[in-house]
Amino acid sequence: MIDGLGTTGTSPLHRLAPGPKLAALAAIATALFFLDDARGLVVAAIAALALLRSTGRSFGRIARDLALPIAVIAAVGLADLVFVDAATAAQVVPRLLALAFLAHAVVTTTSSAALLDTFERALMPFERLGLIDAARASLTLSLALRFVPLIVEEAAEIRAAQAARGLGSHPIAVIVPLVVRTLVRAERVAEAIDARGFPPPRNSNTSRREFVSEATTGNDHPHEHP
Amino acid sequence: MNTRDIGYVALFAALIVALGIVPAIPLAAGVPITLQSLGVMLAGLILGPKRGALAPIVVIALVALGLPVLSGGRGGVGVFTGPTAGFLFGWVAGAFVAGFLAQVLDQRADGFVKRAVLLSLAAILGGIVVVYLGGILWLAFFTKLGLTKAFTVSLPFIPGDLAKAVVAALVTVKVRDALSIERK
Repeated sequence: MIDGLGTTGTSPLHRLAPGPKLAALAAIATALFFLDDARGLVVAAIAALALLRSTGRSFGRIARDLALPIAVIAAVGLADLVFVDAATAAQVVPRLLALAFLAHAVVTTTSSAALLDTFERALMPFERLGLIDAARASLTLSLALRFVPLIVEEAAEIRAAQAARGLGSHPIAVIVPLVVRTLVRAERVAEAIDARGFPPPRNSNTSRREFVSEATTGNDHPHEHP
Repeated sequence: MNTRDIGYVALFAALIVALGIVPAIPLAAGVPITLQSLGVMLAGLILGPKRGALAPIVVIALVALGLPVLSGGRGGVGVFTGPTAGFLFGWVAGAFVAGFLAQVLDQRADGFVKRAVLLSLAAILGGIVVVYLGGILWLAFFTKLGLTKAFTVSLPFIPGDLAKAVVAALVTVKVRDALSIERK
């Protein structure tokens, strides 16, 4: 499985519920787009950095976390400086930095499990309207995360097998068997999930995570469970 | 959407994520290209428009959940507020268009070469033209660069994406010869 970027902690931002945090991020991001004053934007960027620092992350750690986005923002600023003018660059760079810091503050203080719960609650109105099936939506996300390491393993096996036969690792020669094998595997997992009676009835306490872990561990005898 | 469709969509979402783990190939100009857009093209070409578009939607949902599923270990809502988010959202429309064109064009062709050419065309129109349209519009708006300049800045990535479109088409012909999957 892939671990989320969120960490545990006791800062005020850690304690805030994910819903309000995301709503605040969206509101501030929108407001920053209507703010054109370069000095105001610099103040916003510094405030956002201070907020991110208040979550207990050191400046060194922040620099490492955000190295890639900061490089992109620097490139964008350079492009603005060269192609447009210095005034635009002076607005765009602090605005993007403020957004990067704020969003990272939300990401590092919210666990993926809390976000998944928020996500399911946000889907509920759509489910009542019959537009979306929350159980299927979260099954899809859980399965996707489960499939990532399977694909990486399978790719390594295919490469090893081809190297053993003295074949070089040509991208198409790896991807074709990888896609075919993993598609067959996805079909088998789908059959296993159906065999376990998915979707669970409304009052059932079997979670989608149990469906996924049972169906992908190769246990093909669902009914032998106590 | 039956469980099999869910399995297919989840698999291609996972493939897009897994292709982000493969180390990026640095271009001559120092611009890295990653293979994630190859996964997006494959989702459209192999699964068809609807399920193909759902695969990048699942990836975007995983990003929103704060998981580092994009190349370079990027993830979290910060991606959505960044200057290149338009390319990510463009994946959804791109996979849909590539899938729709594949559905229409692949029925009218026989023979390996002809199919590969038509599928390459579908991958280029969906996976490059549509994706870049979203990406460049977003970039132009976010950075106030203007459309022409935003287009110029994005140009170095196009040769790599053209190569990926051809690879996606070749892989699709071979995969669909091996397995019969209805495009929908």
